[in-house]
Amino acid sequence: MRLLSQGAEAEIYTIRFIGNKVAAKVRGRKKYRVEELDTELREGRTRREARCMERAHRAGVPVPRLVACSRFTLYFEILEGVVLKDLESIPEGVPREIGRVLAKLHDAGMIHGDFTTANLMLAENGLNIIDFGLSEITKSVEGRAIDLLLIKRSLGKGYPSLEQSYVKSCSEGDVVVSKLKEIEKRGRYQIRTIT
Amino acid sequence: MPIIGIESSAHTFGVGIVENGRILSNEKSVYPIGNSGMIPIKVAEFHKKSADEVILRSLERADVRLKDISGIGYTMGPGIGPCLKVGMSKAKAMANELNVDIVPLNHGMAHVEIAKRLSNMRDPLALYVSGGNSQILKLDSERRHYLVLGETFDIGVGNMLDSFARKMGLDPAWGSSVAKTATGGRYIKLPYTVKGMDFAFAGLMTKAVELSERNSKKDVSFSLQETAFAMLCEATERALLLTKSREFCVCGGVAQSERLRVMLGSVAKEHKIKFGAAPNEFNADNGAMIALLAERVLKRGYGVKVEDCDYMQRYRINDVEYLAD
Ligand SMILES: Nc1ncnc2c1ncn2[C@@H]1O[C@H](COP(=O)(O)OP(=O)(O)OP(=O)(O)O)[C@@H](O)[C@H]1O
Ligand SMILES: Nc1ncnc2c1ncn2[C@@H]1O[C@H](COP(=O)(O)OP(=O)(O)O)[C@@H](O)[C@H]1O
Ligand SMILES: [Mg+2]
Ligand SMILES: [Mg+2]
Repeated sequence: MRLLSQGAEAEIYTIRFIGNKVAAKVRGRKKYRVEELDTELREGRTRREARCMERAHRAGVPVPRLVACSRFTLYFEILEGVVLKDLESIPEGVPREIGRVLAKLHDAGMIHGDFTTANLMLAENGLNIIDFGLSEITKSVEGRAIDLLLIKRSLGKGYPSLEQSYVKSCSEGDVVVSKLKEIEKRGRYQIRTIT
Repeated sequence: MPIIGIESSAHTFGVGIVENGRILSNEKSVYPIGNSGMIPIKVAEFHKKSADEVILRSLERADVRLKDISGIGYTMGPGIGPCLKVGMSKAKAMANELNVDIVPLNHGMAHVEIAKRLSNMRDPLALYVSGGNSQILKLDSERRHYLVLGETFDIGVGNMLDSFARKMGLDPAWGSSVAKTATGGRYIKLPYTVKGMDFAFAGLMTKAVELSERNSKKDVSFSLQETAFAMLCEATERALLLTKSREFCVCGGVAQSERLRVMLGSVAKEHKIKFGAAPNEFNADNGAMIALLAERVLKRGYGVKVEDCDYMQRYRINDVEYLAD
């Protein structure tokens, strides 16, 4: 058992599970919050993440395959790759791919909720979406627009090819993009970058 | 050479005096909020009446003569127009009278800078939580301006606590009254909204008010506070890890909450990050934070002409050049 990553919400270990090497995402206790809320959040998100990963997979969105799930722990396939956040620069073609997989996810009737470069992995089989802990099964246009906003913000600049491929691949792409424009105009949002 | 700072963005008219980074005085007059909201003109009228008295009190406490003041800072915004105007007019009149440098400043930046200074931090992640604002902030790598990493989608956490308190008939309608009422409460499930490093409070408040018809004020206050603060902690924890920060401070009026500081302290400890907050008199709106920031900006020669001084109700921190190094 080896710690792969210490996240804000969870720890990810590589473990042997029925003979195979898999990732175990463990949502441990947060001492700062009251126990009932803590349990509710960890349980709810684990369940939600499992459900959304399955749904995404069924819809053909590239995600790690879920192996098993218990109260606070998910077991899934390990991807050999790197998250976009850790790359020096975004390789050509990747923004277009981001637009395409996001469109597919939205068309499958869900939103990601934390759609940033920390949660996109470039692996052998291409671009994968990970971390469905804040995902929701919903067709909300606002929710979809916020996914677009989050990725735009975390990339540090807009990529026209991302929005173009999103609009082209998504059944209601235009509506979502105009919602995005509206949210950005509310003034609260400027592009923010993480350095 | 002492510098004076004037803060009047909302309910507080504050005057602070500093010299070489040392706070010599921090006096204020606060509009009595009671169980009602604030009517801007009335608050401004109140500030006008108390302004001179607060300035004199601050000079006396610092034991500094008016004519020895060598520079002036005032809050340019964000804030309530008529209130900002009172502070600005006082600052301008003083600058003309004394013929010294004057500088308009961003209120939020002053909140962050005083917390940094008093916790001895150079490059922390900052959680700025007050009535009107709730933001997760960090300087960009070139230290040119603050980045807003996360913030509220709707209302500030303080205003949420204040309107809840008002609807519950608490007096004063203030975050501290919610804290008092919450003592010994029991947890009831409320809406919890965090999206990455952003969060929202309006739905939480509406639901809490609704539930108060069937539950005790104590339980609802407790649950509202626990839920709202847990949301802030989660978003902040995510930002801390994403930016790999080693230092972290909290500032603004809601940073006066003992419970919030304990929770944030626990987040920091979990990741072995240094955590700090200023003493409470410097978390609420105050003049000392304006004076401290003014001293540093003036030292670098960024004073402005009196006739160019203005105020701005909406003035976002990420639009401001960072000149405090
Ligand atoms: N002990 C406390 N616990 C929680 N909240 C508190 C406490 N004391 C004060 N507050 C809240 O702090 C807020 C006031 O913050 P502050 O003094 O910074 O003024 P402000 O006008 O909100 O400032 P800003 O312009 O920065 O938004 C109020 O909403 C109040 O309820
Ligand atoms: N299937 C996977 N294969 C390999 N590494 C992974 C996998 N899932 C997550 N990781 C690594 O763990 C990190 C955190 O995972 P994530 O699910 O995003 O957790 P959190 O909710 O804490 O952000 C990722 O950034 C990535 O580096
Ligand atoms: Mg993640
Ligand atoms: Mg304030």
